[in-house]
Amino acid sequence: MKTVFAHKLLAASMLAGLAAAASAQEAPIRIGVVTPLSGTYSALGQQVKWGIELATKEINAAGGIMGRKVELLFEDEEANPSVAVPKAEKLFQVAKVDFLTGTVNSASTLAVGQLAERNNRLVATTVSFSDAITGDKCSPNVFRVNAKAGQQSAALAEWLSKSKPNAKLFYLGPDYEMGRSTVAAFKSAAEKKGAKTVGEVFAPLENKDYSPFFGQVRAARPDVMYTSVAGNDTVRLFTQMSQYGLLKNMTVVGASGTLTSQNLAAVGKAGEGFVTGVGYSVEIDLPENQKFVKAFTEFAKAAPDLYGADSYGVMYFYKAAVEKAKSTDTDKVRTAMRGLEWMTPQGKKIMRAGDHQAIQDMYVTQMTNGKFKILSKVAGDAAIGPDTCTKF
Amino acid sequence: MGGFIDTLQFVLAPQVVNGLSIGVAVILMALGLTIIFGLLDVINMAHGEFYALGAYLGVSLAAAGVNFWLMLLLVPLIMAPIGYLFERTLIQRVFHHKDRHILTLLLTFGLAIIMEDLFKVFYGPQALTAATPIEGASEIAGMFFPNYRLFLMAIGTAIIVVVWLVVYRTSLGAMVRAAAFDKNMASSLGVPVSHVYAGTFAFGVALAALSGVLLAPVYSVFPTMGKDFILMAFSVVIVGGLGSIKGAVIAGLVLTQIQAIASLYISPSWTDPLVFAIMVAVLMVRPQGLFGRLGHA
Repeated sequence: MKTVFAHKLLAASMLAGLAAAASAQEAPIRIGVVTPLSGTYSALGQQVKWGIELATKEINAAGGIMGRKVELLFEDEEANPSVAVPKAEKLFQVAKVDFLTGTVNSASTLAVGQLAERNNRLVATTVSFSDAITGDKCSPNVFRVNAKAGQQSAALAEWLSKSKPNAKLFYLGPDYEMGRSTVAAFKSAAEKKGAKTVGEVFAPLENKDYSPFFGQVRAARPDVMYTSVAGNDTVRLFTQMSQYGLLKNMTVVGASGTLTSQNLAAVGKAGEGFVTGVGYSVEIDLPENQKFVKAFTEFAKAAPDLYGADSYGVMYFYKAAVEKAKSTDTDKVRTAMRGLEWMTPQGKKIMRAGDHQAIQDMYVTQMTNGKFKILSKVAGDAAIGPDTCTKF
Repeated sequence: MGGFIDTLQFVLAPQVVNGLSIGVAVILMALGLTIIFGLLDVINMAHGEFYALGAYLGVSLAAAGVNFWLMLLLVPLIMAPIGYLFERTLIQRVFHHKDRHILTLLLTFGLAIIMEDLFKVFYGPQALTAATPIEGASEIAGMFFPNYRLFLMAIGTAIIVVVWLVVYRTSLGAMVRAAAFDKNMASSLGVPVSHVYAGTFAFGVALAALSGVLLAPVYSVFPTMGKDFILMAFSVVIVGGLGSIKGAVIAGLVLTQIQAIASLYISPSWTDPLVFAIMVAVLMVRPQGLFGRLGHA
């Protein structure tokens, strides 16, 4: 009898507390974050999480979005589309999130985008590079706030044409969708700027020995080699090229995912001099970035990378859009997002209305003493390329 | 003409030598596999993970300040008892079961999965590098080869010769071959068959681990590295004849040369299917492989 009474008392006081909270403010805006928190890509997911959490903390401390607090709901996508989809579905259907972000794997972003269309919700990626996301597979419900592969190659090609005019280029890519498309994109960008192609080879993904290709490289006598291998493949390619003395008279350039914090330590000295095009660097000399780097480092006890910076930026993107729309309604927010200008650690970004791709300044960086140093900056509209989206 | 000499000197000749260095690596992996199969009739699916364990052990020992050359001695010495114990405690448990092939396959496959995850837990998912003990490169007839690769080919050949001598020219090897040929007869003649089994397994494991230490400076060290050479090594063992050392060496050299040369003319991604096609063809024409089994030669 006594316990029943106690339970009733507890329930009553909880109800009273809830009512009080509800009257104090409106229900929070819920944002779902589906990102890899375990597995090979967990380091990327960690940056995404830190960036989003930091921005949310700042936004909530400053009064939230239109007076409503922001609530985050995290799910582990394991960088696997077949995991990302049910988790995103759960967030849309059960948790009723207003907005969803965080996907890393390009295939996850595409799959979650289709799901967003069916659920009439908006999603944004802060990491995925594949040009298709805002190109031939674009969706009215998907936005990209980070730079796509095409912007990265355009910036790199621009730098190459100035620092090594009419360079002889050799291409070495991993033999699958990403490798073939990055090589094709950079090749067309570089050839337009006067570079000459002297050879190309596609090695199997997770290739163990690259030495069988070195003869072809040597015989072609290139000045510059472009590569888009990633992860452990980078470690092997760079170590073996260094052992074969191939790095001596050749500049190696490549995709921004080729040399990252994940494999930098293992690549070591062989990675020195590597040049890439990228949308963010801690070195960017802007007051917004200095403020961001300081806050991020204090918050996460680690330096931000491009994923952290763009994931931080997406929260302010959503905030700016909701405040412009004065609503969280999907159609109104989408209209507000199109052509939206907002501030990020990389300065002002513009969301292109035609394909939902953010326009931003791009940077060319070089590995120098174990850190990426900025070599040059390419203006946003010079790197963005044409709008190829025809779906909306 | 200049173009042809260029191709010969820069492309074809180095390709043969590079193919040779990969061949030695594959044979080192295939040797352990084929010896364990030839004697115990067990297909060790965890062979690649023992190779990885050797490489990780090397990384840890290097971090503790152990010299590379000492490591070549130390790692097999540490790994052999582990292999011995594994054979006695786990393989022997299912060895006399009527479904021995399936059970040992599952047992070693399960072990491989567990080991790969343990590498992730203890060393993290990212790649680690092993310092190259011999720096620099040599120019031979206008071709350029890293000194360490030349050393690998030399020591690899030496290891293969020593293994062959031990198996075919010593009384220890005679016991192993006798146990493989007819374990009941060998046992009745005083060969300690159960120790020979465990000892051979330990030998195979030590060989895999030694390859791990030797190849780490070229191929780097990461949790899934065990899968790297294992498919190729299996193909080599099957083409050469399960249990045959001579078969492993010859098939290893031939198949890696075919891959190296073919990769110049077809997409490198097709060289693996090419090797598997050869394997299938050999299985159809000569199911026992090119050479006979250990002890049956």
